[in-house]
Amino acid sequence: MKAFGEIWESNLFQKWLMAITGLLLVGFLIGHLSGNLLVFMGPDAINEYAHGLRTMLHGTAIWIVRFGLLASFALHVTSAIKLARRNRAARPSSYNTVEHRASTLASRSMLYSGLLLLTYAIYHLAHFTWGAVHSEFYVKACPPSPECTDCIPDVYAMIVSSFQQPVISVAYVLAMIMVGLHLNHAIASASQTLGLRNRRIVPIVRTVGPLLGILVALGFSSVPLAILAGIVK
Amino acid sequence: MNLRLHIWRQSGPQDTGMLKTYDVANVSEHMSFLEMLDVLNEDLIAKGELPVAFDHDCREGICGTCGMVINGRPHGPLARTTACQLHMRTFKDGDEIYIEPWRARAFPVVRDLVVDRGSFDRIIQKGGFVSVNTGNAQDGNTLPIPKLDADRAMDAAACIGCGACVAACPNASAMLFTAAKIGHLGSVPQGQAERSTRAMNMVLQMDAEGFGACTNHYECEAACPKGISADFIAQMNKDFVSSAFGGRD
Ligand code: HEM
Ligand code: SF4
Ligand code: FES
Repeated sequence: MKAFGEIWESNLFQKWLMAITGLLLVGFLIGHLSGNLLVFMGPDAINEYAHGLRTMLHGTAIWIVRFGLLASFALHVTSAIKLARRNRAARPSSYNTVEHRASTLASRSMLYSGLLLLTYAIYHLAHFTWGAVHSEFYVKACPPSPECTDCIPDVYAMIVSSFQQPVISVAYVLAMIMVGLHLNHAIASASQTLGLRNRRIVPIVRTVGPLLGILVALGFSSVPLAILAGIVK
Repeated sequence: MNLRLHIWRQSGPQDTGMLKTYDVANVSEHMSFLEMLDVLNEDLIAKGELPVAFDHDCREGICGTCGMVINGRPHGPLARTTACQLHMRTFKDGDEIYIEPWRARAFPVVRDLVVDRGSFDRIIQKGGFVSVNTGNAQDGNTLPIPKLDADRAMDAAACIGCGACVAACPNASAMLFTAAKIGHLGSVPQGQAERSTRAMNMVLQMDAEGFGACTNHYECEAACPKGISADFIAQMNKDFVSSAFGGRD
């Protein structure tokens, strides 16, 4: 019997891990997006939502999700880098001329769109979660406690005042273009990796995948754009 | 027609190799690509130079021996056509043509355009077969196989093992070849007994040979002279994962 370690290290298993964790991250993005869109419903909606997230199950819910996300990110990124290195080693000398017939810009730039996303995600956490950068806009969450009803932090003000800075908004929109590019290939690719493929499903995932990428990118970008345009203030 | 060829010349596995330029005159449009190279080689031999080494056997597009990257495309510009079945009418007078070997760590260059595809043989040795007792063949109709399954197995069995999929893949991955073999045997009842072991062992052998991992670009499918579908790769992914979690071997 093959040892699990050997199977785990195989290209196909690493690829499978990347697909599972990638889809978990897509699920997270969709959840995150639906929360963000509450900005359009005014300060109370998003502030209560954010407060709710932090106090759900006495503050343990958010840590469960955080651990899941951290594990997904870690597995996704380590397998992505591991496989990219092996792939590079598999073609030691490059062709003089190459003609691409089926691959796309999105499929060929997955590692780069991914690495840019990783960089952005760290900056994004430093901004909105840790308050380590742009701290003039940061609102500190109150300690989670069910009795504390009057200390709901003004997340709305933090979002609006941050995105009124064009530089912050532009960086955000650029990162969302990277999300759209990554998802353009990622969703259909994950379905192939997981073996979900036949004549029925291929046309569906090849339409829904890129479309979802565009919708997620547009959805996220709508917040800073609306703030810059003064629609949300 | 007159052509200018840029051909990869490499004297052996240790040589770094380089593109060299040759002019060939009076190429007939009825010649196959390999016949055109034969003409060039006659010329080179007459001049006392070493002929360009390239692999070929059937020259009918069925054996999988020939293969070279022509202007950035494995087997050249025509879809579903091996290099030996590519004819010079596809090109025109004055064309410049770049000719390179398959490039992959698992396919080391032997000389010029000839690469060692022994790694494919070793993948097959890990499970590209069914173990049956020898003796009389059983009666054809004792093992009914639905037409669709038989067709699917035949579609996969069309793979001639040429390696164009590896050459075309940006990651030099052998997924399409291996998936065709696994998909061929996995589509018929005879292949079921060893299905789980086969997927596991052949997939791990791909890694051991130094082929890259699939990133679902589908360049392999576009380059395959036999039109093997990447559906078989999805099937192999499923077989491998169910073997990893549920297999007994
Ligand atoms: C929110 C963040 C992310 C999401 C939603 C996401 C989603 C996905 C999905 C669904 C896949 C498809 C898996 C497959 O091909 O089977 C994928 C592939 C990939 N991801 Fe991500 N990913 C994210 C972040 C990252 C990061 C930070 C990196 C950094 C290195 C990265 C690098 C890659 C690479 C290299 C691939 C493989 C592409 C391929 O095989 O063609 N991703 N991603
Ligand atoms: S899958 Fe196609 S390209 Fe790959 S070895 Fe078989 S016939 Fe050649
Ligand atoms: S020489 Fe046999 S397939 Fe080309």
